[in-house]
Amino acid sequence: MAKSRGGGGPSSPGGRSLAGTRESLADPGCDELSSLGSDSEINGGGPEERRVDKFGFIVGSRGAEGTLEEVPLEVLRQRESKWLDMLNNWDKWMAKKHKKIRLRCQKGIPPSLRGRAWQYLSGSKVKLEQNMGKFDELDLLTGDPKWLDVIERDLHRQFPFHEMFVSRGGHGQQDLFRVLKAYTLYRPEEGYCQAQAPIAAVLLMHMPAEQAFWCLVQICEKYLPGYYSEKLEAIQLDGQILFSLLHKVSPVAYKHLSKQKIDPILYMTEWFMCAFSRTLPWSSVLRVWDMFFCEGVKIIFRVGLVLLKHTLGSSDKLKSCQGQYETMERLRALSPKIMQEAFLVQEVIELPVTERQIEREHLIQLKKWRETHGELQCKSPPRLHGAKAISEAEPAPRKALESVPSIFVSPGPAPVPKARKSKEKSREKGPASPANGPGAEGNGAPGTTRELLHPQASPHHQSKESLSSRESEDTYL
Amino acid sequence: MGSSEEDYNFVFKVVLIGESGVGKTNLLSRFTRNEFNHDSRTTIGVEFSTRTILVGNAVVKAQIWDTAGLERYRAITSAYYRGAVGALVVFDITKHQTYDVVERWLKELYDHAEASIVVMLVGNKTDLAQAREVPMEEAKMFADNNGLLFVETSALDSTNVEEAFETILKEIFYKVQKQRSSQTNTVSLASENPASTAAAQAERRPCCVAL
Repeated sequence: MAKSRGGGGPSSPGGRSLAGTRESLADPGCDELSSLGSDSEINGGGPEERRVDKFGFIVGSRGAEGTLEEVPLEVLRQRESKWLDMLNNWDKWMAKKHKKIRLRCQKGIPPSLRGRAWQYLSGSKVKLEQNMGKFDELDLLTGDPKWLDVIERDLHRQFPFHEMFVSRGGHGQQDLFRVLKAYTLYRPEEGYCQAQAPIAAVLLMHMPAEQAFWCLVQICEKYLPGYYSEKLEAIQLDGQILFSLLHKVSPVAYKHLSKQKIDPILYMTEWFMCAFSRTLPWSSVLRVWDMFFCEGVKIIFRVGLVLLKHTLGSSDKLKSCQGQYETMERLRALSPKIMQEAFLVQEVIELPVTERQIEREHLIQLKKWRETHGELQCKSPPRLHGAKAISEAEPAPRKALESVPSIFVSPGPAPVPKARKSKEKSREKGPASPANGPGAEGNGAPGTTRELLHPQASPHHQSKESLSSRESEDTYL
Repeated sequence: MGSSEEDYNFVFKVVLIGESGVGKTNLLSRFTRNEFNHDSRTTIGVEFSTRTILVGNAVVKAQIWDTAGLERYRAITSAYYRGAVGALVVFDITKHQTYDVVERWLKELYDHAEASIVVMLVGNKTDLAQAREVPMEEAKMFADNNGLLFVETSALDSTNVEEAFETILKEIFYKVQKQRSSQTNTVSLASENPASTAAAQAERRPCCVAL
């Protein structure tokens, strides 16, 4: 392996071809560079001339997609203004109009606001505000060499065809190093797990390192606790849960996998641990993550179930899966049709698999686990199923997300354009009690009511878009 | 990916194990697709590929499995080992630490796989000879003392990659042949012995070794 290390060294792009995997032995300089061999006509020159798709993937490489269905511009602009409004009134929306948030996440977050929205949804923005300077502090520390060694080996192995990560020692790889290192310092008992690298990389494509770090923290602690820990017990349990749920969703697929004795671990590990970022076409990855941040792990389960159902769910599809190996090959080479954004999202939304079912199945599998393996060695807190649960578990007053009104209107029968606005005003009261949920930080001020944080909102801060009839016109998925 | 029309007599499952970053994924891609990639993705979960070669007159389909090397992934590898008849324990000759842990990998292997599994110790990255940290003689002696085959390879420049896989597949094949000839009328298809299972599988095709 080439000796070049990520993190600190100057990027040495040289010339690159998009041949990808063929090592050019005629070019001795190759060793120190990314493996994209020698120059090709597509490049024409330096990395700046590399063509990238709208997600940043080098055109022609694995990861870059073909023609994509675009949301019409005016719809996009409408969505952006709705999202801006939501973000500016986040607490209110989370408390009162969560269903609308969920619907909008299902439709896809506008790219320009995705990074921000993910931070709000995951509660990572709040985490950051509560821990100002913490990331910088961790950033300055050296870190445990045992973890650093492994992290460094992984820096150039995440999305190497993405412009952000293609350069060895480039800013993308450097930031990836910083984020992953910081996590090992933040949670030394957890250390580093390789699946965290693609997760962090996706986050870095949308936000700076500090923000990405806290988002990673939320994923590792709230959404998918235990996934990246020693023993990987959580992922094994989820594999069993997935398989059980499959029984109802697609009996044919279930029977086939049972008969061939294919352990879920053999196909769902990368899916779940990387939240499908290494499996689906990129536009689908982003849609799944939009829903995942809002609704939690059930989205991951649903995607897995949809893929299994549409790959192995009929005798026709099973014709070429005579043995375990053939089945696994099929699961590895999923049909582009079923992974395509519109199809997949619709299927996921419609699949009737709920949090309750997942939790119930979790208890069943946990019991089985104890019978065969004994007690769990790594006990993680229960997971929180999405943005609302995370926000409700948050005890401290969240000044961070409050818009600071500069114009105050005295309370009273102020003239408001729409009748429903005053209804909303009078109904305005915060969520009841602070955290008694699991996973909450225990040191916030208890019982702070929202009234103090929501001074009588002026009409300027009322949501104009809340019940807009235009929502129904936005039918693009 | 092997085509189902291929004629093969045997299917042997071989697993690649060893520390993260030693080159397992590239050994796999070099052998099965003649490809090498400096930036091959970190293996998470299970990867696999096949290649069919001739061993003597027999057509052998090698199913090579690859998985994450990081320590914590060992917790999920028992499914991975099931049915394996061969294992390549890989270390990086330029990183002594990856060689130091070979014993641990062997222990894990014997804990999960059949005792009769054929094991080869592979010292990879000979193209970086100038940075060697593990003397060949030392590794060879360890292999000899522990009943392991041994070879040094470079997935980058292809040195000895064919030889490594051919050798282990041959060993497995001869073992299977010996088993067959030594078994008289007590062959049990339900036997736990992967070598005999492989032999039994050989009579039916196309299909995989029962895993």
